[in-house]
Amino acid sequence: MYWTNRGDENAALDAWLRVYRDACPEPEPSANFMPELWRRIEERQRSVFFLGRWARAFATAAAVLSLGMAAYLYIPHGHNSVFTFESYVEALAGHAQDSPDLPEQVVNEL
Amino acid sequence: MLVDFELIKRAQKGDSPAFNEIVLAYRKRTLGTIARLISRPEDVEDVAQEVFLRLYFSLDQLRTAEVFEPWLYRLTVNAAYDYLRKHRRRMESRMSDLSEQQVMLADAVAGGRVDHDARQRKQICETVDAMLSAVSEADRILLTLKEVEGLSLKELEAIYKINENALKVRLFRARQRVLKASADSGGQTSAKGAAKAEV
Repeated sequence: MYWTNRGDENAALDAWLRVYRDACPEPEPSANFMPELWRRIEERQRSVFFLGRWARAFATAAAVLSLGMAAYLYIPHGHNSVFTFESYVEALAGHAQDSPDLPEQVVNEL
Repeated sequence: MLVDFELIKRAQKGDSPAFNEIVLAYRKRTLGTIARLISRPEDVEDVAQEVFLRLYFSLDQLRTAEVFEPWLYRLTVNAAYDYLRKHRRRMESRMSDLSEQQVMLADAVAGGRVDHDARQRKQICETVDAMLSAVSEADRILLTLKEVEGLSLKELEAIYKINENALKVRLFRARQRVLKASADSGGQTSAKGAAKAEV
């Protein structure tokens, strides 16, 4: 476009970029610059503060829930408990008596 | 450095007047850099505030005085890059849209025959903005920092955190892409100029 000789291209680009800095006016900050900056800082601080509080509350709730679930799992709940103090054979016999689909002879043998 | 490290240390401890002083010292320079990086005067202040906002919340990570300015440049570059990505305007302003006046001015600049009156200055800004709009945000920012802001390769190394050779390669490629974009759109402009000359 501007350069007919390919060897001149780089020099021309340099010339453009050199004059560009002087040609473009330096923007002046408005009177509102600092107040607006501090408003944004305070707004960000508030959101970070609320996010932090929410995260702490969530972590506390998660910890309480985990402890509750752990306690529920470790405390024996009679027959429905996942843990049992019966032997395997006793447990099987108890289960067999509850099962109507097993022949009576098998149940008695147990 | 426009401020001493003591002031930065005070700001790190949450001293608001100290932070204010830092902003006041670097505000004008930062606004100028952003203006050249994004070339949208109406948004320059907004981006500059974002830069100082990021500075405020990351100031406690600064350990040595020497890295403060490259670091501020890095924040500026990142904010400008984020802005440019959000407001892609590469298709809005093309080299082929340049007026005949700008083409004549381009020849004058290339020949070093430019008197900088207000109108010409405006045209130079528009023309270079158009040239830089034709390449990616990354190329535009790198070229602006090196060739317009006048940062050295050492300073660019500190900002980009890559070695000098990699930077030179990037710069070379960025220049090539600007030249290629100029050449691609030049066909149409030259043709327009030629047609006008015939009339």
